Amino acid sequence: MTLPLLTAVALIQSTVLSRVSVLGARPDLMLLVVLTWAVVRGLDEGLMWAFIGGLIVDLLSGGPLAGTALALVAAAYLAGQSLGEEVGSEVVRLVILGVLGALTYHVTLLVVLGWTGHPVSWGFSLTRVAGPSVILNAVLAPFVLQPLRWLDQVTEPDRGVV
Amino acid sequence: MKQFTRPPVSIRRGGERSWLPLVLLILGLLLLVFHESGLLAPIETGAHYILDPLQRATSGVFDSTGGLFRTVRETRELRAEVESLRAQVEALKVENVRLREYEAEAQQLRALLNFASEYPISTHLGAEVVSRDACDSYPCGDVVGVEPNPYLRYVTINVGAQQGADVGMSVVSGGAGLVGRITEVGPRTAKVQLLSDPESSVAALLQTTRATGLVVGQPDGSLQMRYIPQEEEVATGDIVLTSGLGGLMPKGLVIGQVTEVQQREYETFQTATVRPAVDFTRLELALVITGFEQIPLGETVEETEPE
Repeated sequence: MTLPLLTAVALIQSTVLSRVSVLGARPDLMLLVVLTWAVVRGLDEGLMWAFIGGLIVDLLSGGPLAGTALALVAAAYLAGQSLGEEVGSEVVRLVILGVLGALTYHVTLLVVLGWTGHPVSWGFSLTRVAGPSVILNAVLAPFVLQPLRWLDQVTEPDRGVV
Repeated sequence: MKQFTRPPVSIRRGGERSWLPLVLLILGLLLLVFHESGLLAPIETGAHYILDPLQRATSGVFDSTGGLFRTVRETRELRAEVESLRAQVEALKVENVRLREYEAEAQQLRALLNFASEYPISTHLGAEVVSRDACDSYPCGDVVGVEPNPYLRYVTINVGAQQGADVGMSVVSGGAGLVGRITEVGPRTAKVQLLSDPESSVAALLQTTRATGLVVGQPDGSLQMRYIPQEEEVATGDIVLTSGLGGLMPKGLVIGQVTEVQQREYETFQTATVRPAVDFTRLELALVITGFEQIPLGETVEETEPE
């Protein structure tokens, strides 16, 4: 189930969502799915989705293979921590993790691009691309929560509800 | 309210630490290194056999559904555009008559100079290859994918190795405007590095003064023409064309138009900001130039050297 789902997410990302721009920010469905899955199902599953999903996105990209995968793994690692659990509300926690996770994702992506020889303009990238994208994806994160909660219940109905 | 429990972070039950983050990090770095060295090319090509048809199909589905919503909006826009175009047609008719006169004059001058055009692709491209008819002789492709990485600028077109596309080939769109260069070829798709990608650089010249330079993509998606000699005159509105230097691209493809010139006396070169001829956000049909005649080195040197 994981592979077809993540392939579908990557295809939607590359054919539709990459054309969408809100004040320079782009919705990143794969990032949102990975972050939310790490929150719903825990670190290990979040990391696996991050790695597999990232590789599929990389195959559809002109960038270096495993670049997105590494960036998503870093974001999922952060989202899988117990950070912000004391907040209580899962939605608020997801928004907080969305901000931190998306920021980690963009910084890691830029580091990988720089490391593989791509010209990186840190100032422009952080302020004009990463900044708006972090805000947009943090706002969108709660909307991905419900479908993934449903998926969580469908795939493992006995798990997680107390 | 439902509360979801999850395995405690990177520490598993009984305090056992998960090695998965470290394993994935090492695996990712290895893949990155192998990809950069080209060792993974056969596997990546294999993956494209699966992903290419899926990407084309997904693009087709969203294009058709998106088209329904677009039609209503576009009808209104088209009405206004028709009125504007009618006025333009009248103006162009007048201009056309004037240009025919110039053409006749130019032909006479060419005959006098015994000038023969040796590069049919660059001289006829604007008239022929960008129309749909050109798809009979050149591979045409629709854009089926846009770069998911926000820091890179690539598009995926639905022509690949099976249609004759290859790495390094130039891709043009409406009005012979240069789109970019193919960097990766799958069986039925190809990845095109847009001119605006920060890693893209194309040898260029100004149509008016023939001054040469290098058009480089910028992180914000704009283009800059660098290394224009200080003594050259560059004006806003100048058309920027490919120079064909290096033999990687045909000569005479339209890159864009100069919108701003940055000239500082203490610098060796001047720089111009160039507005691309092609709107990369609205690319639909792209055309791949599979072959062209290279410019002999002698001519390029002669042409670039001031008299």
